Amino acid sequence: MSYQHAEDNWFAAILIAFIALAVLVNIWRARRGKALYIRRIPGLDAIDEAIGRSTELGRPVTMIPGLTGFGVEAVQALTIFKYITKQIARFATPMRLLTANATVYAVAQEAIADAYNEAERPDLYDADSVRFLSSEQFAFASGVAGLIQRERIAANFMFGIFYAESLIFAETGNIVGAVQIAGTVSFTQVPFFVAACDYTIIGDEFYATSAYISREPVLLGSLVGQDLSKISFASMIVGGSMISTFIGTDHPIVQLLGKPQGWQSFVEWLSQVLGR
Amino acid sequence: MLFDTTQLVVALLWIAGAFALAIALIPLLGTLPPRGRFALISFVTFIAGLFFAAEFFLPVGEDNKNILTDPFQKMQGSLQVITALSLGLGTYGLVRLHLRNAVQRRPQWGYSLVLLIAFVVMAFFSIWNTMAEKGLFGIERTQLLENAFTLLFDYTLIQLDATMFSLIAFYIFSAAYRAFRIRSIEASILMFTAMLVMIGIVPLGKLISDSIGLPAVQTAEMRTNPFMLENILYNLRLPQIAGWIQETLNAPVQRAIEFGVGIGALAMAIRLWLSLERGIN
Repeated sequence: MSYQHAEDNWFAAILIAFIALAVLVNIWRARRGKALYIRRIPGLDAIDEAIGRSTELGRPVTMIPGLTGFGVEAVQALTIFKYITKQIARFATPMRLLTANATVYAVAQEAIADAYNEAERPDLYDADSVRFLSSEQFAFASGVAGLIQRERIAANFMFGIFYAESLIFAETGNIVGAVQIAGTVSFTQVPFFVAACDYTIIGDEFYATSAYISREPVLLGSLVGQDLSKISFASMIVGGSMISTFIGTDHPIVQLLGKPQGWQSFVEWLSQVLGR
Repeated sequence: MLFDTTQLVVALLWIAGAFALAIALIPLLGTLPPRGRFALISFVTFIAGLFFAAEFFLPVGEDNKNILTDPFQKMQGSLQVITALSLGLGTYGLVRLHLRNAVQRRPQWGYSLVLLIAFVVMAFFSIWNTMAEKGLFGIERTQLLENAFTLLFDYTLIQLDATMFSLIAFYIFSAAYRAFRIRSIEASILMFTAMLVMIGIVPLGKLISDSIGLPAVQTAEMRTNPFMLENILYNLRLPQIAGWIQETLNAPVQRAIEFGVGIGALAMAIRLWLSLERGIN
């Protein structure tokens, strides 16, 4: 359920504020020099290996942000693609970034040009390597599949939001023998990527990617904040399950956790408890 | 009349003003040192983000609106304008690439030519059809338009879409073959679970359960006494097992992923709002 305003359910608004605070406090701690640990993500370690293979074979690398519209997912996907492009630029490996969204296309052109500049190889940047194919789902899918087949790509990176077209990309990549790494927040497409790709980055690992590859304190601190929020959510689920099992589902805490209108009854119950 | 003249003039003035402002801002941004440019962009991003956050957190009245709700809806309209403008940019990039391929006779230039012809023909009939539908400039629907539009959109585009979609069935088959090959304990568990779910959710599951004599219905007595033998046998029916796997094992995992994704997206949004994310800056 989504809420149009905080007043619809203050509890949800408090949770949002809590997550924001957890993220900001940990960013501040990380900036002050606190050493933070991030676990190994094999799919991200394999990026350099896939680029190396493309370089050896002299065949292009494709980067596909799926049907992602311009939003946080697109920014994250482009951050990853920018990192990949910087690595590619060192070896002059050809690349293709294929998008179905015109806004993402405009930003991607700038990001990729920047990546070549930062790698000190602006001469290698080809504006035609970033392509807007179509905003129609299956026209885009056929365009990508055709390019993968014609250019016999050696590595395929798919990061972003995907729908039914995900398997068309992944299987076509598999047919041409490309090393494939996919990362998506679309959990309905995860099984297809797991079946057809070499590595799959699932769910919130997708948002951890930029922290993992850059090791920037700000991003690592943010990850710690996210983990704290997840622990809090898990505690609430366990606590709520126990209260509803042993005390009953009518308890105000269970109502607060499970129902939008539970805030009022919780406040009344809390004022009674505190008054006592 | 589609527009009131005064409204049209005001709208055109707004558009012209916005363009003039944008054109003036570009060289102004260019003159700023990188730190100043970053500070300005960060400030504008922060104010824009604050606007959306404030609209959510400010108390609302009887009509479920606060002072920022109406401007909020207008802002969302402006996002559509930006999307439309960038679509023009994307189309320009696409046409430029394929025009160059065709003119310079690059390898496989024939595909580019097909794309350009399809692009022009589809755009021509689509624009013609929209104008006829809205009665713009006195354009009416003709038999030629009717036939061409049906041929291009109903008999070509929709069928091509369906063809691409149907390819997925074959791809699922080949991907599933690789995923379900029994090579390890995990793959074996996956294979066994998938078989249970696939058989359980189709009529075959019911047929098998009925044929081995498992109870077909759960009585009120069985519901109140979960450890009753009949209830245990009822829960061993293939449709019940498939339902349990989907609802008790699969659904919580999906929700857990959704929780993580939601928190990750919120953290990313905060970093972007406060210009802490430097990935594509």
